[in-house]
Amino acid sequence: MPVVDVDPDELRYLTGHDEKDDDELKSDLFNLGLEFEGWTEDDEFQLEFAPDRLDRLSVEGVARSLRYHYGDDRGVDIPNTNSADWTIEVEDQPDERPYVTGAIVRGLDMDEAALESLIQLQEKLHATMGRKRAKGAIGVHDLTMLKGNSVTDETGKSITYTSADPDEATFVPLDADAEMTPSEVMASHETGQTYGDLVADFDRVPAIYDAIGLFSFPPVINGRRTEVSVDSRDLFIEMTGTDQWTIDHMCNIVCYALAARGGQVEKVDVSYADDAPGEYAGKTLERPDFSVRTKTVTHDRIESILGVSLDSREVIDYAERAGLDATETESDDGMAYEVEVPPYRVDVIHPLDIIDDIGRALGFNSLEPTYPDVSTVGGRHERSRLEDAARDALVGLGFEDLLNFHMTNEVENFERMGLGPDTTGGDVVGQTDPVTIQEPYSEDYTILRTWALPSIMMVLENNTHRSYPQDLAEIGLAAGLDDSENTGVAEHRTVAAALARTDASYEDAKARLQALADAFDKNLETPPTTHPSFIGGRAAEVVLDGESVGVIGEIHPKVLVEHDLELPVAAFEFRLDALE
Amino acid sequence: MKRPQAQVAVLQAADAQKDRRIDDVAAEADLKPEAATRAAFELEADGLVSVSEETLEHYELTDEGDRYVRESLPEQDLYEAAIDAGAADGPVQMGQVIGASGLEGGAVDIALSNYARKAYGSIDSGEITANQDADPGSDPEMLALEAVADRRVEDADTDALDQLERRGHLDVREETVRSVQLTDDGVTALMEGVEAAETVDQLTPEMLTSGEWEDVAFTEYNVEADAEDVSHGKEHILRQTANRVKDTLVGMGFSEMEGPHADAQFWINDCLFMPQDHPARTHWDQFALEEPEEIGHLPPDLVERVRSAHKEGVGPDSEGYHSPWTEDIARGMDLRGHTTSLSMRYLSGHQVGELDPPERYFSVEKVYRNDTLDPTHLLEFFQIEGWVMAEDLSVRDLMGTFTEFYEQFGITDLEFKPHYNPYTEPSFELFGTHPETGEVVEVGNSGIFRDEVLTPLGVDCDVMAWGLSLERLLMLMYGFEDIRDVHGTLCDLELLRETEVIR
Repeated sequence: MPVVDVDPDELRYLTGHDEKDDDELKSDLFNLGLEFEGWTEDDEFQLEFAPDRLDRLSVEGVARSLRYHYGDDRGVDIPNTNSADWTIEVEDQPDERPYVTGAIVRGLDMDEAALESLIQLQEKLHATMGRKRAKGAIGVHDLTMLKGNSVTDETGKSITYTSADPDEATFVPLDADAEMTPSEVMASHETGQTYGDLVADFDRVPAIYDAIGLFSFPPVINGRRTEVSVDSRDLFIEMTGTDQWTIDHMCNIVCYALAARGGQVEKVDVSYADDAPGEYAGKTLERPDFSVRTKTVTHDRIESILGVSLDSREVIDYAERAGLDATETESDDGMAYEVEVPPYRVDVIHPLDIIDDIGRALGFNSLEPTYPDVSTVGGRHERSRLEDAARDALVGLGFEDLLNFHMTNEVENFERMGLGPDTTGGDVVGQTDPVTIQEPYSEDYTILRTWALPSIMMVLENNTHRSYPQDLAEIGLAAGLDDSENTGVAEHRTVAAALARTDASYEDAKARLQALADAFDKNLETPPTTHPSFIGGRAAEVVLDGESVGVIGEIHPKVLVEHDLELPVAAFEFRLDALE
Repeated sequence: MKRPQAQVAVLQAADAQKDRRIDDVAAEADLKPEAATRAAFELEADGLVSVSEETLEHYELTDEGDRYVRESLPEQDLYEAAIDAGAADGPVQMGQVIGASGLEGGAVDIALSNYARKAYGSIDSGEITANQDADPGSDPEMLALEAVADRRVEDADTDALDQLERRGHLDVREETVRSVQLTDDGVTALMEGVEAAETVDQLTPEMLTSGEWEDVAFTEYNVEADAEDVSHGKEHILRQTANRVKDTLVGMGFSEMEGPHADAQFWINDCLFMPQDHPARTHWDQFALEEPEEIGHLPPDLVERVRSAHKEGVGPDSEGYHSPWTEDIARGMDLRGHTTSLSMRYLSGHQVGELDPPERYFSVEKVYRNDTLDPTHLLEFFQIEGWVMAEDLSVRDLMGTFTEFYEQFGITDLEFKPHYNPYTEPSFELFGTHPETGEVVEVGNSGIFRDEVLTPLGVDCDVMAWGLSLERLLMLMYGFEDIRDVHGTLCDLELLRETEVIR
C-alpha cells in the first residue's frame, strides 16, 4: 500500500487548523483511512493508505481531504486556469510512448517544504499510476530557463515532444556536469541505469526540445538547465506516457497540489502532428483538463447498498462532504442524482464508487449490523469429506497427521528419493513431470510436489532429535503435468504414511494399509514391484479394487542415509480417490 | 475365612493381650512395613484388630556427635591436658595446656566454655586450673552420647540429651509408631481358622470365566509411579482449526467449493477486475508457472465480457480501466494467490452450473504468495473465503454475517474500516478484539463485489465476500508466534505432539 510522508506542521498550515495537536491529526487521518505508521527521521508522519485515493500522495492532497472531512470545504472545487500561451508540439515521437500532456503553474513562492512535497508527489505518482514510469512519467521544469520556439500564430511559444537518436543527441542531465548522449546516460548515469530499460529497445528515444535544444529525456531524466529550485516561481510540467488519460490525470493531481500552494494554473496546448502516432493525430488538446465527470446514481441503489433510508437532502449533503456535487434528477429507475466528480479523482470509475463515498461520509461504523434474511443449506464438498474420513482413519491407526508445503524442489522431490529428474526413470509413483515455477527466487521452492513421501522424509530428517517411534502421515495435494486437463495440470490428493521405528517392517506398513482399505471397504492386493525409493524385494504396488493406485515398501537404505536417518522406515503412498 | 496374605500374617502375629508394634509384626511376617500397616488398617475396618498410635522421640547422632563418642569430648581432652600440666596444683599458662591437648579451631572455644560449666576447673586471666575432684570419666553428656550410640536411649539422662541437642551432637525427630492388638472378633476369627487368599499380578480371561477372581487378591501396584510416554495419532493443529472453521460455516448455511490450485490468471485476476498492469500482478507477488505456461481453454463469451469490463466498464457511467488488456496474459498459468478464483469459477456457472440466489459458498484451502518467509508469512497458507449471493444485500448484511462468524471464535467488537480492493465496493478491512490480549487486530478483508466483476459472470444480484488467513486465525486464537513451527517440513514434532487440541 502507498506510504506518504507528511509534515504535521504543513498539514496544520494547509488545513488552517493550527489548534489540532499531533494526536488529533492522527485520529482524524485514521478516520479518513490514512493510518499512522510511524515518524520519519525528519519528524514527519508516515501515513499508509489503500491505493485508490492517489490524490492523497502529497501533503496538499491530504490537507484537502481533511478540509472536506472537517466540513471546511464542500462540493467540487475547480482551480482557475489562464488560457494557453505555450504549446507542446508533438511530432515524430516514439510509437511506444506516443502521449504527452502538460501545464504551467506561475507565481509560486516555494520553500524547502513545498519543494520536497512536490518531489515526493512526483515519486509517488511514478510508483503508482505511472507504473514505475512505464505508463506515465513526470518532468517539472523551471519555465524561465525555457526558450520557446515561435509558433504559427507568432505570439505563442512552444516546446517539442519528439524522438532523438540515442547516440547523437546531447544534453547535460541532472546530477552530471558534462554533456551526455541518451545512450551514455543509460549506460553510466545512476538514474539512467535505473530507468533506461524502459526505452532501451527503442530505435529512437523520447526527447523534448526547446529553442535552445534537448532539455529532457523522458521517462529517464531531465536536463540540468531547467532544474527546479526553491527560487523557481514559474513551472512547466510535462508528462509522457503510454496512455493519455493516465498522464492527464497525473497532471491534474500535480496541478491541484501546486494550486493549493498558491500557484496560478495556466493551460498548455498539446498539438499532435497530423502524422503523429497514437490516437490523437491532428488533434490539439487543451491541458490540464479540469472538466468534471458526471455519473448518475439511483436513490434506490444507494439505499440498497447502504441498507438505510435516506432523503435526497441527506444524500446531497453526504456527497458534498465527500467533495462531490450532486443534483436530484429522474432516471428510468426512479429518483436519481447527477453527481459531479472532480478531475483529481482517478478512483471513481463507476456509480458504485459514489455510493462508497456517500457511505464513508455517513460513517459505515454507525450502521447497525443485520443478519441477512435468506436461508441456505450448507455442506462439505465430497472430496473434503473423504479426505477427513481417511485422515481420521490414519489418526486412529496411530499416525501423527502432518501438513507440508505443496511447493518443493527437484532435489527433494526426486533426487534425494533416488528418482531421476524426469519420467525417463519409468512409470513409478512420484515420477511425473512436475509443474514448475517461473523464475523462482528460492531454490527451495521451484516445483509443485508430485508425491508426498519426500515431504514426510524431510520431516523425519528434521526431527531425528525427537522421540521414536515417529509414525507420520499426510493427506494433501500432489500434482503433475497433464495435457488432457484444461489447466494442463493433473491435481490429486495423495495419502502418504511412514513408520519410523527401530523395528519398522514391510508387514507393519501393510497391516495399517490393510486396516485403511478395510475401513473403506476396498479390496487390497500388493503384487511385487520395483521402485527406486524402496528396497528391492520389499516393495509392492498398492492395488485397490483391482486398480493400481500407489506403492508400499521399506524405504531404501540409501534414501535413509541421505536423510540422516539411523533406523528403518516402512511407508506407503496412494491416491485418495481410490477410497471413494 | 479367606483373607489376603498380608492380613492373615498380621492377624497371626498380633497378640490379644498387648499391643505389638506393626514394625515388629511386619518383620515377623516378612512383610514390608507399609504393607503390614495397610493390612492392619483393613483388619481394623473389619473390627478384627485395634490399631493404636504413639509418638516417639527418636535420637540420632550427628556427624559431630558420632566423632565425639568414638573419641572424647573437647572439654575432656582439655581437662586431661590440664591435669598433665599440673593445673590441679595451681594455675598454668593456658596456651601451654591447649597446645598439649591437641585441640584446634572451634573445638578450643567449645572446650573452654564447657570446661567451666562442668566445673572441671576455672579459667582466669589466661591461666587455667583443674578441679582435682572432677570426674570426666562419668560425664553425663558422654554417657548419654554412648547410650544413643548403643541404642539405649532410655538409659540416658534427659537433661544431658537436651544439652547434646543444643550442642548439635544429636538430632531428634518424632516418629509415629503404630501397634496392633487382636480384638475379641479377631480372636474368634483366628479360632475359626483364617486362610491366606492367593494374590495375582494379572487378571486373566480364565479367572473371569471360572469365577476364580472372587477368591483372589490383586497384587498392589504403585499407582503413583510414572508410566511410559505414548505418542498418539493426532490431527494436525491447522487441520483441526480448518475443520472448526468449516463446521462453523456449514452451520451458517455455507457449501464448500473445490477447484484447481494451478489456474489461469483469468480466473485468479481478470475476473476479479484486477487491471493487467496492477502492481500486485507482477512476478514479484505471484507465482507464475513456467510449465504449463497457459491454460488450454477459456470460455470465449466470458473472456469477451471480462475484456469489455476492463476496457469499457459495465452499464452506464462506467469507465473501465485505462490499462492494456490481452487474452494472452489472461491465459497465463499461476499458482492461485487467493481462493477467490474458485468463487469466480462458481459464480460464472462453469463449475457447478448456473447458481440462483440465495447461495452461500466457502472454501478453506491453500493459496500461494511470493512473499518473504518470516514468523507470520508463509509462501503458502490457508485462506478462508466465503461469499453470500442474494437479492439486495447491503453493507449491514455484510457486517451482520461477519460479526456472527467471528463471534464463533471469540473475536468480538468487530470494526469495519473502509478499504479499497479492485474487486469490491464498498470494501472493508475487518478489525476485532483479540480474545486473550484485548488488542484490536486486523482479522480479514471484505466487500460487495463490483458490477464489473459480477456482470461479466452473468450474475445480476448482489454478492458479498470476505477472506482471511486461517493461520492468522490460529495465531489469534492460540497465541502461536512462529507459524513455521507448525506448517511445513521444518515443523517440530514435539510441538505438534504437545499442542492442545482445538475444541
